[in-house]
Amino acid sequence: MADMQALSEFLQRGKAKEVKELVQQAVSEGLSAEDILDQGLLVGMNKIGVKFKNNEVFVPEVLIAARAMNAGMEILKPLLAAANAQNRGTVVLGTVKGDLHDIGKNLVGMMLKGKGLTVIDLGTDVPPERFVEAAAKHSAQIIACSALLTTTMKEMEKVVKAVKSAGLDVKVMVGGAPVTEAFKTSIGADFYSPDAATASEIALQVCRNA
Amino acid sequence: MTGRERVLQTIAGHRTDSLPWVPFTGVHAGKLLGYDAKKVSTDVDALVASALEVNRLYHPDGQPVMFDLQIEAEVLGCELVWSDDGPPSVKTHPLAETGDIPSRIPLPDEGRIAMHLEASRRLKKSIGASTALYGICCGPFTLASHLRGTEIFMDMMLEPAYVHELLSYTKEVAKAVSGYLIEAGIDIVAVVDPLISQISPSHFAQFMEKPFTELFEHIRALGATSSFFVCGNATMNIEPMCRTKCDSLSVDENVNLAFAKKITDTYGISIGGNIPLTSVMLFGNQQDNMKTVVDLIDSVPSGNLIISPGCDMPYDVPIENVIAVEHAVHETESARSMVRHYQKAELAFTGTLPEYDKLSKPLVEVFTLDSATCAACTYMWAAAQDAVAQLGRDIDLIEYKYTVPQNIARCREMGVKQLPSIYINGNLAFSSIIPSREELMRTIGEGSV
Repeated sequence: MADMQALSEFLQRGKAKEVKELVQQAVSEGLSAEDILDQGLLVGMNKIGVKFKNNEVFVPEVLIAARAMNAGMEILKPLLAAANAQNRGTVVLGTVKGDLHDIGKNLVGMMLKGKGLTVIDLGTDVPPERFVEAAAKHSAQIIACSALLTTTMKEMEKVVKAVKSAGLDVKVMVGGAPVTEAFKTSIGADFYSPDAATASEIALQVCRNA
Repeated sequence: MTGRERVLQTIAGHRTDSLPWVPFTGVHAGKLLGYDAKKVSTDVDALVASALEVNRLYHPDGQPVMFDLQIEAEVLGCELVWSDDGPPSVKTHPLAETGDIPSRIPLPDEGRIAMHLEASRRLKKSIGASTALYGICCGPFTLASHLRGTEIFMDMMLEPAYVHELLSYTKEVAKAVSGYLIEAGIDIVAVVDPLISQISPSHFAQFMEKPFTELFEHIRALGATSSFFVCGNATMNIEPMCRTKCDSLSVDENVNLAFAKKITDTYGISIGGNIPLTSVMLFGNQQDNMKTVVDLIDSVPSGNLIISPGCDMPYDVPIENVIAVEHAVHETESARSMVRHYQKAELAFTGTLPEYDKLSKPLVEVFTLDSATCAACTYMWAAAQDAVAQLGRDIDLIEYKYTVPQNIARCREMGVKQLPSIYINGNLAFSSIIPSREELMRTIGEGSV
């Protein structure tokens, strides 16, 4: 019987090959794709998120764990689609206009996927209207904006305004090195997250409540 | 004691007459003379003029010539994206699709390295005797990430031998650039490597300790002093960074200065930091900045300490905030009493404001932190005195120092937001930026009654 705890451990250590083999074994043994995701992969990714938040693991360890998660998801994705598994929520993600930094944004993307959420990653240098268009097109529950620069964080306010003027029912979350709770409040955004793991928890909560 | 001595003595572990203050004025320097970020990043005359204005207005003990981590990357083939209010960013990574290790070492006359060196030489000549000059050099890890892209993090897990080789190359680049800067007259080579905060202590030991130790040894052998700058939450890597035998360390607000200083003190290394860039310097007011500095100084044991912003200052940091920081570093006791009064927000104004619309002669009011101690305030007060003397007319001139509690209340009553400021006949005429004599004389003339 495929061991879900071992699957989570392999994922946390970034062992892509072992994760893939174990997921394949679990599928062959008749475990549902949703159970493998919930009891193995997401558990592992969640633990990595907590360790990252606590400064116990760093960027390389998170990236390698996410790579292992993707290896397992390659097998599960078609099965989840075939089983018509329910979409747990959709997040539109991007680094704001004028800002090319994507490490933080990518980490958030991985943690969001680690919560089982669908991520529409618009990349870097994303103008406000693209956030809004993507959120409408994919019926997203939340837009997550990242910025590393004190000069580009001002763009976040434009995203908030664009969402309001489009009349969309979608929350806006902001984060990145210079961003603070006070800044979030000053621009009228809905949420501020200090790190990738917290961002994924907030997004999951928003999607559940939507 | 000159500012230069203050910085170098502090780093050498000796006592100084007051704390050294090193504002990390990168593109912000341009703001003082109305140049945008790109102008001061590409035009040596604009850069030098701006750096001299930083020196005049902010009274630093040490200051960087430039604060731009993209200079080496640009020479080595990275495309940059320019901004009017920030340093450029790297857009493309020449090693993204290849496992090759370059061998080319940039020459001193290439790209903006030449400009950096020229500005260093000129500043050494004009202010180098009294101010410690910092030459910023892109750290080997950050330079490697500029060349390779974020794939470098994955490489650390999957291709460690490649990462060792790449870092060995970028370390050689950093050694060459450090050498050029030292030759141009730089006192302190600041190896700035923000990405260090993104890796574990064990990865630091595995990949970084050796190249960084070698780089700092090289700087020492060339007779200069080194500093290791990091941004982000590098708490876990403070001790590993100390093991590279850098002469000093600089951290941003994500690191608790008291925690970090305990470690650096045991290694006999001085530490610089860490006024919050955004919440305090950019968005705070003068009192917030003074209070932050006083609290910072009070939070750590004395000695081995340099007060500086957490990292490169945002372009738009209000000038008066930096002036307040300088005052708090150099005149800590005076600032302490000012922020004590600031906390007592209820302090009532007991005097009366002049009836500005019924003045019989022009009234020039100069609001300062303290013209006897704050450099910018000294200039502002001197400019007013000079202009009034030159006009040779009957003009009332008065200074209100913030050191007097009733003057704090007066500032509130008048709505004075920034110090130093000049009000003419009750109206704000100049704040933070010191006007020329002609400009001030003209303004007094226009507002005359």
